[in-house]
Amino acid sequence: MSAAGGVKDETILEVRDLRTHFFLRRGVVKAVDGVSFTLRRGEVLGLVGESGCGKSVTALSLMRLLPKGGARAIGGEVLLDGTDILTLGDSQMREIRGRKISMILQDPQTSLNPVFTVGDQLRESIFRRAGGRTAQIMREAVAALRRVDIAAPEQRIGQYPHQMSGGMKQRVVGAIVMSGEPEVLIADEPTTALDVTIQLQYLKLLQRLQRETGMAILFITHDFGVVARLCDRVAVMYAGRIVECGPVQEVFEHPSHPYTQALIASVPAMTGPIGRLTTIEGQPPSLMDLSAGCRFEPRCRHAEARCREAYPPPVGVGPDHTADCWRLQPA
Amino acid sequence: MSAEPLLTVERLRKHYAVTKGILFARTLGHVKAVDDISFTIAAGETLGLVGESGCGKTTTSKLILNLEEPTDGRILLEGKPIHGLKGEALREFRSQVQAVFQDPWSSLNPRMTIGRIIAESLIVIGWGTPGKIEERVRELLRQVGLRPEQATQYPHEFSGGQRQRIALASALASRPKLIVLDEPVSALDVSIRAQMMNLLKDIQARDKLAYLLVAHDLATVRHMADRTAVMYLGRIVEYAPTKTLFEDVRHPYTKALFSAVLQARPNQPEDEIVLPGEVPSPLNPPSGCRFHTRCPFVMARCAVEEPRLREVSPGHQVACHLYQAA
Repeated sequence: MSAAGGVKDETILEVRDLRTHFFLRRGVVKAVDGVSFTLRRGEVLGLVGESGCGKSVTALSLMRLLPKGGARAIGGEVLLDGTDILTLGDSQMREIRGRKISMILQDPQTSLNPVFTVGDQLRESIFRRAGGRTAQIMREAVAALRRVDIAAPEQRIGQYPHQMSGGMKQRVVGAIVMSGEPEVLIADEPTTALDVTIQLQYLKLLQRLQRETGMAILFITHDFGVVARLCDRVAVMYAGRIVECGPVQEVFEHPSHPYTQALIASVPAMTGPIGRLTTIEGQPPSLMDLSAGCRFEPRCRHAEARCREAYPPPVGVGPDHTADCWRLQPA
Repeated sequence: MSAEPLLTVERLRKHYAVTKGILFARTLGHVKAVDDISFTIAAGETLGLVGESGCGKTTTSKLILNLEEPTDGRILLEGKPIHGLKGEALREFRSQVQAVFQDPWSSLNPRMTIGRIIAESLIVIGWGTPGKIEERVRELLRQVGLRPEQATQYPHEFSGGQRQRIALASALASRPKLIVLDEPVSALDVSIRAQMMNLLKDIQARDKLAYLLVAHDLATVRHMADRTAVMYLGRIVEYAPTKTLFEDVRHPYTKALFSAVLQARPNQPEDEIVLPGEVPSPLNPPSGCRFHTRCPFVMARCAVEEPRLREVSPGHQVACHLYQAA
């Protein structure tokens, strides 16, 4: 991994046409329905979208941690360093999970075990990676806590999660994840539960760790401010599909998909005139009953007949920037 | 603004005792959730109350809703104290001050139709005949952008944004003068959030309602509030007309809070003020200025002397030694 810093064109994770559906008695929920993207070494890719658009199910599909009972990745490929991890057996997957690909969840309260000290949980992860003697592992665990800016790690290591604040617990989760030295980190709204000043501390920490190790991060969020601050590229998701993907600056300055345009316009700003906020009328479609056409069509100001007939293919609208919209199709 | 404010909060304190033991409980200390705050809300205006978790925003809103008794200080609605009210007077108060809470999944009774939920607030105050109540429920549903025939549906049939509209309809039913909005849009998605904010402003303009907007998101406050109070560890540290505050932030804590807001624009300088550590425990707040343990501009007197709110420009008050005449 030490060689990875700086190499930004090499793809570490490639997702092709991923489909994850929930098979329920009432019908099939197409939570992820044809998602494709690439994640390059050393970059931070933001995955943004509103509740229920399939961001988290995408993440769980990549980790092979879909909830039991009906959820299945029924199609597509997830190539991690060239290997399709959807075809791996459970024991092979266990070797990869936490080592090559790792995950941080939204709520640190539920991702840490309340009946073990943070030291126990951290040492377990270090031992699994490298083995070693108890004293050595202890030293590494203290160093890992120090690396995530936890003050007095020698004392903190013997504490239980409930003795720590939310921000500190999330940093402990970060230390556990980093101790596995992953090449790909999936962060699913890790700062949503934190206060703004603590969120900023955490994002700065994540950015530092990413620059030190050269790992690639898939950062899932609904907050465009976080995307602007942290990410190199951004993919916008709507109703199970990525509708636009490109470099952060490109997408913010020239949003091409009507959904991205409306979403960026509806965020209340900290500067500039205070007028009526732009809204997107209506609601996202039910994932059980999707039309063959563009999923944003019922709420889109520019909808035409062809939008109802078929889903638009991605169109290149700028360097490394694509959007799925019929209007952008060259005539 | 009229001479008498709609709501006056005077030197309000709320301390919670922390005890140990059951039968012979000993008091170990007090959590000073709200500690000597004062402000006013005029009829038809919105006051924003911002701060991070544990700063006392929610306790303040509970005190104003008369769901908690203050330890000290008082709250006046149109000049009359609200605590200690009983019977008819209390019912009258409840119809004048209403609330919309953050989580529209827990604030609506899942076993009642939404028509019944809205009618409930009219029935308890003995408002009119069943026929008139039904008519009013239909009118309220229309006002919040729902269809009157949806009155027979249950909360689970609605999305988060729609439920928040139902909660608002139910708050509006008794024609209150003040609505406490406790994080009314933070559980909603971006596109739905803008719809709700526009609706709140439309209804306020039409009914001349006053809002107390409790929020942590500064951009929301900027778009909604006329004046804003910033709280830290139970105290108001800065209090100003919203426009003034956003143009001229004074208190070091407010500066850090503003600097931590990540704006949806690329290529911003990465020179934010990162506060060291976390908010200290309100059980044992720091001496002097409560922010001195994390303040980048801390001076010797900050640890010993508590700064008072002083006016730095018309209507703009700051509690910080940096701005007090040397």
